[in-house]
Amino acid sequence: MKKHLTLIGLLMVFAFSLTIFSGCAEKKAVVKDEAIQEQKVAPTQTAPVAVKDDEAARRAKEQADREAALKEQADREAALKAQAAKDRAARNAAALNDLNIQNIYFDYNKSSIRPDAREILKANADIFTKNSAATIVVEGYCDERGTAEYNMALGERRAQETKQYLVNLGINASRLETISYGKERPANEAHDEAAWAQNRRAQFLLK
Amino acid sequence: MKNKYTFKTFILFIFLLISILHNTALAKVYIDIDAPGFQQFPIAVCDFQNKKAGAVPSVEFNTAIADNIRHYLDLSGIFNILDKKSFLEGVEPGTPETIRFSDWSVIGADFLLRGDMIIAGQNDVIVEIRLYDVTRGQMLFNKKYSDKTGDLPTFARAIAADILLALTGDEGDFNTQIAFVIKKKAGADIYTMNYDASDMKNLTNHQSIVAAPRWSPDGQYLAFTSYKGGRPEVYLRFLKPGKEKKVASFPGLNLCGSFSPDSKKLLLTLSKDTNEEIYVLDIDAMTLKRLTHSYSIDVSPAWSPCGKKIAFVSNRSGSPQIFLMDTDGNNAKRITFEGNYNTSPSWSPRGGRIAYEGLINHKYQIFSVDEEGNNLIQLTFDDADNEYPSWSPSGRQIVFSSKQGSKSRISIMNSNGLNIRVLRENKDQLVMPAWSPRFK
Repeated sequence: MKKHLTLIGLLMVFAFSLTIFSGCAEKKAVVKDEAIQEQKVAPTQTAPVAVKDDEAARRAKEQADREAALKEQADREAALKAQAAKDRAARNAAALNDLNIQNIYFDYNKSSIRPDAREILKANADIFTKNSAATIVVEGYCDERGTAEYNMALGERRAQETKQYLVNLGINASRLETISYGKERPANEAHDEAAWAQNRRAQFLLK
Repeated sequence: MKNKYTFKTFILFIFLLISILHNTALAKVYIDIDAPGFQQFPIAVCDFQNKKAGAVPSVEFNTAIADNIRHYLDLSGIFNILDKKSFLEGVEPGTPETIRFSDWSVIGADFLLRGDMIIAGQNDVIVEIRLYDVTRGQMLFNKKYSDKTGDLPTFARAIAADILLALTGDEGDFNTQIAFVIKKKAGADIYTMNYDASDMKNLTNHQSIVAAPRWSPDGQYLAFTSYKGGRPEVYLRFLKPGKEKKVASFPGLNLCGSFSPDSKKLLLTLSKDTNEEIYVLDIDAMTLKRLTHSYSIDVSPAWSPCGKKIAFVSNRSGSPQIFLMDTDGNNAKRITFEGNYNTSPSWSPRGGRIAYEGLINHKYQIFSVDEEGNNLIQLTFDDADNEYPSWSPSGRQIVFSSKQGSKSRISIMNSNGLNIRVLRENKDQLVMPAWSPRFK
């Protein structure tokens, strides 16, 4: 019986050592390339050029010219329309910019609404109520410290918390959009605490 | 009865002995570059010999090919390339019998590479290399190559990859690229370059806020976040033929995470359900599945190479920290506990370790930690902010970006933090490098 156990023990040691050694052996790959290998790079082939019938080509060209002329006219009209819309938007934006909407600011790495921001949001909410046709874009921003990705999420969180606060003040959620610019659009380009405090903000855009 | 046992024990003993001997026989050849005390291995690379008697010796080519091989071996981070001025032995054509290995061991070489070549014509070369173990006085391997392209760097890369494969069991990272973002005043775009910094190319033309390029493991796609459409959306770029497709443009935030090991799924961070959560997108079916459910920021997901876990950043415990979870979103577990700002997880392709950036003494530095949150190592220590680590396919190197004052750099280092090599330095901001898979 005792011998039996010894044998089992030995077998286990052997099995164990095999796993270890085979584990290592895998890594110890050595290329023993006694037979010399050839490595060749295939030359690239050029594609055959299609031969076109002259007459068909001429007709196709006329057709293409007509289409190009039509497209050009459509593009011109579209550009004029776009310009008009842009002018209107600019006039609206200018009008909305005179409304004295203020930014709110956040603590480092936080997205909660600070006490000093509550009064500002109340005043802003009044303006938004008076301009009931406008959509409000809440933009969240961060200071330059930390990862771009994490700051994009943090900026979004700031915009979302701000939006929620405005909803609680009675602004319809369907009028509110959020966007995060992370740390990519600082208001102050300096690299100190004063600049960072100005950059951790939510801005409001009416459109 | 007794005899039977003795016999069995004897057989066992023989087996054990064989496996041990087998082991030591190879041990000298193998370079265990993962050992904690890993030192660079000294290698002497001779200029190549023109084999054809009477042929016009092309001095330019033999030194150029050897120089290229030296450059790539150096880039691998595991060799110390000996200065050829220190070589005692001349570069006459030699067979193992005529090489005086003592001449090489005395200058400190552990390995010796010799080669000769036949120039058959313009852009038509045949090169034969022989790699020797100087300590044992043996040839490790030889191989013959033929090249008709005249593309010397590609040719040298193939040779260097074979040398690495012979010595370490892994071909290294030679046929790889690094994608990164250059931020300029007009906006940012993604660029790619070979891993030796050569052949830089502009990949996208968004001129907007562009972030987090991620390669698919099969090398087919590059996914990234861009504000080209006026807000953060996720794009998938088909590298051949270079077409782009928007794959996530939900209301709010759309951020690109990493691919699954089979390249069929892409992790995303979306805020469409009011809060930044991690989702997985099936690329073919375009179906979405939500993975995290917490009232906190969950961002920067990275799929483990074995496919079973996802690392991500969450501020659910108050500050941004690295967490792991199962691929169905269950069993979230925090793995970073030092410091209060740990982000940008990147998983070693060989599994086991996660690199990330953490804030320490007011600077961002690169760290790595194992899946259990143990064995934390700080990898960078200088006075710069070192960010966005990304592992090479061999798992032996890490690329990262650094910012120090107005200087911006993309650098690589060995995965133990040693041997930092600057690939590119600029006044524009160079950020978010991502190491590609191996291309064939």
